[in-house]
Amino acid sequence: MAKKNLLIIGSGDGGTILANSIDKSMYNVTLIDKSDKHVFQPQYLYIAFQGSKDTMVRDEKSLLKKGVTFVKKEVSRIDLNERKVYTTKGKPHSYDKLVVATGVTSDISMIPGMQEINSKYGDYHTNIAQAQKVWSNLNSFKGGTIVIGQSYPICKCPPSPLEGIFLAEELMHRKGLRKKTKFVFFTPYPRAYPAEGINEVIEPLLKERGIEVMPFFNIDRIDPAKKTIYSIEGDSVKYDLPIIVPPPKGMNIEYNPDSVRNDDRLVYVDKFNLKIKGFDDAFAIGDGAAVPTAKSGVDAHLEAKTVARILEGKDAKFNGRTNCPFDTGYGRGTFVIGSYDEKVIKYPVTHMNLFMKHMMAKIYWESLKGEFDSVFDIYFKETEPSRLEKKYGTGKE
Amino acid sequence: MANENRKIVDSRGTACPGPITDLSLAYRKSKVGDVIELWATDPGVKSDTKAWAEKTGNKIESVTEDKEKIVIVIRIVRR
Repeated sequence: MAKKNLLIIGSGDGGTILANSIDKSMYNVTLIDKSDKHVFQPQYLYIAFQGSKDTMVRDEKSLLKKGVTFVKKEVSRIDLNERKVYTTKGKPHSYDKLVVATGVTSDISMIPGMQEINSKYGDYHTNIAQAQKVWSNLNSFKGGTIVIGQSYPICKCPPSPLEGIFLAEELMHRKGLRKKTKFVFFTPYPRAYPAEGINEVIEPLLKERGIEVMPFFNIDRIDPAKKTIYSIEGDSVKYDLPIIVPPPKGMNIEYNPDSVRNDDRLVYVDKFNLKIKGFDDAFAIGDGAAVPTAKSGVDAHLEAKTVARILEGKDAKFNGRTNCPFDTGYGRGTFVIGSYDEKVIKYPVTHMNLFMKHMMAKIYWESLKGEFDSVFDIYFKETEPSRLEKKYGTGKE
Repeated sequence: MANENRKIVDSRGTACPGPITDLSLAYRKSKVGDVIELWATDPGVKSDTKAWAEKTGNKIESVTEDKEKIVIVIRIVRR
């Protein structure tokens, strides 16, 4: 049987894992991205709050298995009806099967005042330079109010806003500035962490560390002159050092039909088989897909594995499983574990969980090539929410 | 009522962060007079929406529940 052409757009972890996983005897695999550098984005947190010098960037080509053709081009238009992908330079690419794994970008234009504070204070969700800016501001900080929160209900890596405030508090404690520093955490959700199970685990930590939480705080605007952030719910908070998670938005690529995307430019998919709504030959995975689960590397990984199996003609279904590592500071952490149908587990904060988080970062590059698949299979089985629920529960109703 | 801007927000079977994300997002994009019909399966949505309505001063018009879903109808009266 003649090989089919599989075109994957985006070489983040979802696109790379899929390109490496898929059976090359069935597909000619082309992976296309405007950048040939692969960044381990969770490292932004440690660049921003611990000043890590290890930026965790590798050449994409060094991460690809034999049989994957990498093309460095910027995609400008995806025509799902014509099965063609257009780039800013050169001829369009045709495909038999398409996987969109383009991720999200930060859209600071959405919130008045955000541009000014984002360029001054940085953030830890956009790129390395922005994360380094956060570190430099934290380092020169001498006391006052540090305000951290997410600016939009959708957030890349849901634990990351809290991880930021936990690590900032730890940093000021270590620098001897804790007594001179007030910490305020705001969130659009009813509580510090939206899922009750994990909220019950982290709320006592927030109290113990004296971090004030402002729930139901959806940013309306920021007034840099008054150093104040206002919410659409009518609250406000004054800052000396704001570290605000920017709103994520799908990439600026034209689609035919345009109706496959929502107004955050995220691609509508079937949440189980990840096919783009209305199309049998095109899929979307990772942060850029409108899948009702966490925007995280773990999900992109599991979605890529699901799509690979479907493309190989096997039975597969994505169950929305999350497994987001959560650094709670002072050398401890937890995981946000749940799925579409299983509530998030009240998973304890331990040193071992943080060790696991760091171990996962250490094996990241090899895991892209599938070298730890058997370990992950065991891990995901052992940590199935239904198993953990018996031991830890899911918090109150 | 024929002209009301009614938006169905289908948040059934969503994993973490769950239905409250969808409500929060719909609220951001709403105007006074809009009606949001939130569909969910997570029972926690009832207390969360109640707390949200108290905080924001918006009105829960009805909460109905059957085997398949919980439906909460919210009228946006304050933004």
